[in-house]
Parts: sequence; C-alpha cells; structure tokens
Amino acid sequence: MMTTLLIQALVTGLILGALYGLIGCSLTIIYGTMRIVNFSHGEFVVAGCFAVLMFFTATGLHPLLSIPLVFVAFFLVGMCLYYLFVPRLNRGDDPEVASFLTFYGVSLMAGAILLYFFQADTRSLNYVFTPSVYKIGHVFIPTAHIVALATGVAIIAALTWFLYRTIYGKALRAAIMNRDAIQIVGVNINTLSALAFGLAIAIAASTGVLLALVFPAFGPFSGMDYTLVGFVVIVLGGLGHPIGAIIGGIVFGIAEQVAIVFLPQSLSQAVGFIILIAAITLRPSGLFGKVALR
Amino acid sequence: MSSNRLVWTRTSIWLGFLALSALGLGLLPAYGFSLAFWFYLLLWITLASGLNIMAGFTGYLPFGYVAFYGIGAYAAAVTVKMHGLPIWAGFIAAALAGVVLSLMFARTMVLRGIYFSIVSLALAVICRLLIAAMPEDVAGGSYGISLGFSNPDGAYYAMLALMLATLLTVTWLAQSRLGMALRAIRDDPDTAETVGINIGTVRLKAWVLSAVIASMTGAIEAWYTSIVDTETAFNLLVSTKAVIFAVAGGLGTVIGPVVGTVVMLIVDDLIWQHFPVLNVFLLGLVIVLLMMFLPSGIVGSLIRRKPFLRRILF
Amino acid sequence: MLDVQSLRKVFGGLVAVDTISFDVPENSILGLIGVNGSGKTTIMNCINGIYDATEGVINFRGTNLVGKKPYEIARLGIGRTFQVPRLFRRLTLTENLMVPVLEDSRSNVELTEKANALLAEVDLYRIRDNHAEELSGGQQKLVELLRVMMLDPDLILLDEPFAGVHPNLCKVFLEQILKLKDAGKSFILVSHDLTSVYSLSEHLLVLNQGQKIAEGNAADIQHNPDVIEAFLGR
Ligand SMILES: Nc1ncnc2c1ncn2[C@@H]1O[C@H](COP(=O)(O)OP(=O)(O)OP(=O)(O)O)[C@@H](O)[C@H]1O
Ligand SMILES: [Mg+2]
Repeated sequence: MMTTLLIQALVTGLILGALYGLIGCSLTIIYGTMRIVNFSHGEFVVAGCFAVLMFFTATGLHPLLSIPLVFVAFFLVGMCLYYLFVPRLNRGDDPEVASFLTFYGVSLMAGAILLYFFQADTRSLNYVFTPSVYKIGHVFIPTAHIVALATGVAIIAALTWFLYRTIYGKALRAAIMNRDAIQIVGVNINTLSALAFGLAIAIAASTGVLLALVFPAFGPFSGMDYTLVGFVVIVLGGLGHPIGAIIGGIVFGIAEQVAIVFLPQSLSQAVGFIILIAAITLRPSGLFGKVALR
Repeated sequence: MSSNRLVWTRTSIWLGFLALSALGLGLLPAYGFSLAFWFYLLLWITLASGLNIMAGFTGYLPFGYVAFYGIGAYAAAVTVKMHGLPIWAGFIAAALAGVVLSLMFARTMVLRGIYFSIVSLALAVICRLLIAAMPEDVAGGSYGISLGFSNPDGAYYAMLALMLATLLTVTWLAQSRLGMALRAIRDDPDTAETVGINIGTVRLKAWVLSAVIASMTGAIEAWYTSIVDTETAFNLLVSTKAVIFAVAGGLGTVIGPVVGTVVMLIVDDLIWQHFPVLNVFLLGLVIVLLMMFLPSGIVGSLIRRKPFLRRILF
Repeated sequence: MLDVQSLRKVFGGLVAVDTISFDVPENSILGLIGVNGSGKTTIMNCINGIYDATEGVINFRGTNLVGKKPYEIARLGIGRTFQVPRLFRRLTLTENLMVPVLEDSRSNVELTEKANALLAEVDLYRIRDNHAEELSGGQQKLVELLRVMMLDPDLILLDEPFAGVHPNLCKVFLEQILKLKDAGKSFILVSHDLTSVYSLSEHLLVLNQGQKIAEGNAADIQHNPDVIEAFLGR
C-alpha cells in the first residue's frame, strides 16, 4: 500500500516537477540574459490557465490546440513588456532591485486585470479525457497528467534543441554567460533580449495551459505562488542554467509530492523550501551553477 | 572643516524635525484621533527603515524580512498568552527571538544578490509553515493566538518609541564608522575585506540590528491587534511593502524610507478612497512609474540631480 | 620580512603557480615579471588571502599567512592595489581612504585630515567629496595607492600600477613609491613596463606558466637567455 502511494507520488511529482521546471527555465532565461527579476512571471502562468479556459469555452476544441495560439500571443506580450520596461531599467544603477519592484508592480496590475475579468472564484476546465485514468500496475495516472507531461517534455525538448542547436539559442546562452562579450562579437543584445523575453513569457503561459489540465481548479490569486516556485527552482538548479532549472523543478516537484505522503499537510509544503536551503548550504552555487559567490 | 559642519547642520535640522513630529504624534491619542492610520504609518516607517539598514547600507535585500516580524509577533504572543507574563516580557522575548533567528540565518549572507534574497524568502516560508505545524498549546496552531486583551493607545506609544529609536539608530549609523564599513561592503565586499574589514562581524551587526527592529515591530503589532496568526504575521506582503516603501524614498538614505512610506501610504489611501475597484491596479501602476522615472527613489533622485540638496537631505 | 616557500596554486586542472619560493627582505622592492597568465596576480592573491594556497608556506615576520582571512592579513601590515582598480564606487574619495582605518583609535577628525592631506598631495583634494565612480581609471589607481597608504602597511603589493596611466600620473605614482621606500616600506611590484621595474627593483623574479624561470638583478635578467626566449618566443 505504502509503495503504491509512493510510486503514485513519484509520478505526480515528476509531472508537476516538469511543469515547475518549465516555469523556472523561462524565468532563468530572463534573469540570465538581462539580470531582470521578473516578479510577475506567475501571473503569466495563471493568464495561460485562463487563456485555455477562454479558448475552450469559445471553440469547444481540444485544449491542447490552444498552445500555438497562446504561445504566439504571449510571445508578443513579452516583447511589448520588454520594450516598455527593460531598456530603461538596464540604464539604472541597480537593475536587479529596480526590476524586482517594477515587475512586482506589473504583477499587481496583471493580477488586478485577471481579477477584473474572471472574478475571485476558482474556475476549472471541464474537459474530460477518455479514458480519464490509466491504471499501470497498482498506480492510477489521470490521462490529463500523461498528456501534460508529454507536452511538457515536448516543449522541453524543443527548447533544448533551440538553446543548444540553433544559432539564436547559442547566442542566448552566450548572452547568459557574458553579456558584455557578446555585444563586442556583434550580436544586437537588445533584439536578442526582446526575443528572450517573448520566449520566456510564451513558455510561462503555455505552462499555464498544461497546469490548467493538471490542476482541477485555478484562480487569479495563484500568480505569486508560481513566481515563488519558479525562483526556488532556479536557485536550486543554479541561476542562469536553463536545463538545471528543469532538473531543479523535478527535484522540487517530487520532494513536494513525496512529502505529502509522509508528512502532515502544512509541513509537506515546507519540504521543497527545506531542500532549497539544504542544497544551498551544501553547494552555494546551486546544483548545476558556477556563479554565486564572488 | 566644512563637510563636518554640513553634517552637523543637517543632522540638527533633522533631529529637530523628529522631535517636533514626535511631540505632535504623541498628542494625537489625547485629542481623540482615530489611531489606525497613524499606527500603521509609524509601523511602516519603522519596518522600511529597519530593512534599509540591510538593503540600503549593506547591500543585501532580504525578501524574507517578514520572518523576523512574524517571529517577534509570535514570541510576544506566546509569552503573554501561554505563559501569562506581562507585555514587557513579551517585548523582551520578541527581541531575543529576533536575535536568535538572525544568528541562525547569518550564514545565508555568504550568498549574494538575488540568491540571498530568494533563500531569505524561502526561510520565511519555512518559519510560517513550521509555526503553523506546532501543537496548538505551544503556538496556537493554524488558528493563531488571541492575546485576550488589547491596548491600542499603549501599542501606539510603543510603536512611536520604537520608530524614534530606529530613526535615531539609522541617523547615527549614517555617519558612524560602522555605517561606512557597511557601505563599503555594499559597494564591494571582497575589496572591503582585503583592505582590513572583518566583513563577517560587521555585516552581522547590521543583520541583527535590522532583525530586532522587525521582531519588535511584530510584537507591538500583536499587542495592537491583540491577535496573531501565521497567515498575517508571516505574510510576504510585509516584506514587499517594506521594500517598496524604502526604495520609493531612496535606499541607503536616512530620510528616504520615511518619505517613501508617507508618500506611498497617502497615495494608497487616495487610491482606495477614489478608485476602490481599480485600487490594486493603480497601486501597481504607481510602483511601475516610480521605478521608471525615479529609480533611486524620491530622496535618492533629488540628491543625485541637485547636489546642493545634500545640505539638508541625507 | 616575507618568505614564500614552495607556493603552489591549482585551479581545477590548471597549475597557475607551480612550486615557487622567494623572499622579500626588509625595505626592498621585488619585481615580478612574466607574460600574461604567468601567475603574477595569483601569487599576490595567495599572499593577501583572496585565494587559499594549494600548498606551501607564506611567512610574514614569523606568522604563516596561509589559511588566514584577507582582513587579518591586511591588519598584519600587508596592503595591495589591484590590476583593475577596485574602489568603493558610491563612497566619496575621503571615505574611500577612511575604510582601511575604521578600527583605528584615532579620532575621525584626525583621520579625515590625514586622508585629505594625502589627496592634496596628488591634487585630488578639490574633488574629495566626489564619488569614486566619477574618477578616471588612472585617478582610481592613484586613490587605490593612497588607500593602501592610509593603512600604513609595511609590505605593499602593487599589481600593474602603471598600466593605462598617463606618463604625468605615472611620475606622481613613482614619486609616491620612492617616498614610501625611503620611509622603510617594502614592495612587490608587478608590471609589464620593464623599464620602470628594472629601475625600481633590486631583485627580480621572472615567471613563465607558473614557474620561476629566472631570478636576479636587472642586469642578470636582461641577459638571461631563458628570459629572452620566454618573452620574445623562439
Ligand atoms: N579564479 C581563477 N579560476 C581559474 N583560473 C584562474 C583564476 N585566476 C587565475 N587563473 C588562471 O591562472 C593563470 C595565471 O593567472 P594570473 O592572473 O595570475 O596571471 P598574470 O600573470 O597576472 O597575468 P596578466 O599579466 O595577464 O595579469 C591563468 O592561466 C589564469 O587563467
Ligand atoms: Mg595579473
């Protein structure tokens, strides 16, 4: 019985972890390339949840079909946000703090907009997969989870391919490692950063679509929670390391779900954070990072 | 020595202003003013100034500053309610709790920048969850603790005293050698260490000081509302608000956090009164505009643009 | 006064300093030369505690410096400047000079006067209340030297003091160094400007890829075939 529960927890943890990882991964693309602390990241995840809800109620089509639309729409939103705020912030004295506050403001605004249009009550996506669960051995896995995981993995694969195999992705990683050098090499850092911002927001919103499938209910207030998870995950994985963030996410997700099995509810929420502290104490630069201590 | 005279003049003007305000604020309860606005004004000035010691002078931005505030509130409530001791014992317990917790978290200061901030935030979340998970007869469990008595006037005066103490401390810090060492660490910790500053102990002093200010504030707020629960005592908004108020005025300046708090609370109040539906949206907008156009805060930007203002603002 | 024995510093697989020994007598200037990446800065970083030496002993007047914190080493009387100047950018020039002496028992007034007198000597007194970030690179190097002088150490490590500095400022720099030397201080001087190293230092050490390839006075070094090969290639 216990082992079944444990396996169940591992599987759910893996699925959620992959999604957390995507949140962290997109967050670290922004932080890495431009040292901008996007404190409104979670709001875009939530916006993705609502976007798929609107898509589904309007068209009745399969929710996954909304991903391309959501991706493109939020890519544009991200680009706009970039040009509105980031160049100005980067000229300032302390972009890290200034950006944290600016995007905290953006987060308040985005949260208020969501609240205005969707009211405070939680919503759910009434889409039912058939069959609704698969039974593998003694473990039940909802189809929605499998679909979300598969899509999540597909997005991760596409992103990895983009980052490691295409010229733009390589430029992006180079910019994460050394922002100044890449300007000398002749890459237009402004355009590159704008694309990165768009990409990150688009991934965040697409992750929201998947979360809407996995979590039965969502409301306009969970943005901050996702932002927090995103930051914990990237510190765990090592700042400025997109793939590290995904692994950090999986560690976090599994820890959280396994803890739910063994610990009282309130303590189980602390486990992810305790792992973060433990990891940081043992390896101050995160699991995969190189920079933290100057 | 002209620059010493300058320091002397502006400090006396500032202290004079403080004394007058203290007098005015001290008379408010006697004239029957509603204290809610004023109590929280004092509270936020205190928290923003306490945070400024770490964020502005030392260069560490603790997103989890609320941990100290919450632990102070709980220490006071537990002492008073569970052990039946008087409120002053609760304050002592709160101060001690702040010291102990800050010493426990001291090691996080080997982390820099956003790393430090996030880890500090994680610690605050852990504190909240651990306290909520404690048995009810130890820390009230998830329902919190009701003190069973309240004394808003007493709490108001205590808050006023703490605010004055905090502002005097910061004023002293700004011109003291400790303050200079802190600002050197903020600019470049490694160099500060190679020229002979023991950065470990110096920043620890700032850390403990900053923590005790927050934990005392938490205790006084508990006395004021006579109720403590994990959701409000460890609400992350406490950290973010303190950060915003301090930054709005100008990190690293003495009067910045005061000005920032006053301005932002007034703006907040106006928005609430006139645009109740849009209030959160507008508050967000104000923060964004502030960061776009006055990134060093109100006082910070003034000092930058008009150096002659350094005679009175600091 | 400083006695370095079999100092080794390894970064991952890279041996930056390979078992080097030397000593710096009282009131002397040791020149440290070598091509880029030969390990000069790393030796300084080991001496003043920024890096922990992988192996070896660094003896300063009878205390082993290995394992000590940078601030302890500074307080024992070793000061340094950096290859890329590192001032406290949002502190004024006077404040920058005050930082090393914050735990001094002298009064603020006394210390400020000393700092301002130093600034006056190099013609920076007028802008003593400017923030350090407003200075040019060369001026920053100069203020860094003044900051070392405030601490009044007996051994001063200078990393590329002349690089990127206008000849006029260089002269000011040289004057200050010679004055300190007359006052009994010792130096380790790293520079690519061989003329000034040759003229200043009694004793030179030539490094190549972390190893000591020659040692001696200027005349010896100039005619040493190994050195010529290392510097000019074959
Ligand atoms: N923190 C570090 N991590 C890894 N390798 C390092 C580090 N610092 C120095 N190195 C390596 O050690 C070697 C020696 O470097 P060092 O800075 O001492 O050279 P240098 O003689 O001062 O050169 P330059 O004349 O260019 O200043 C170089 O190969 C460098 O790459
Ligand atoms: Mg060097």
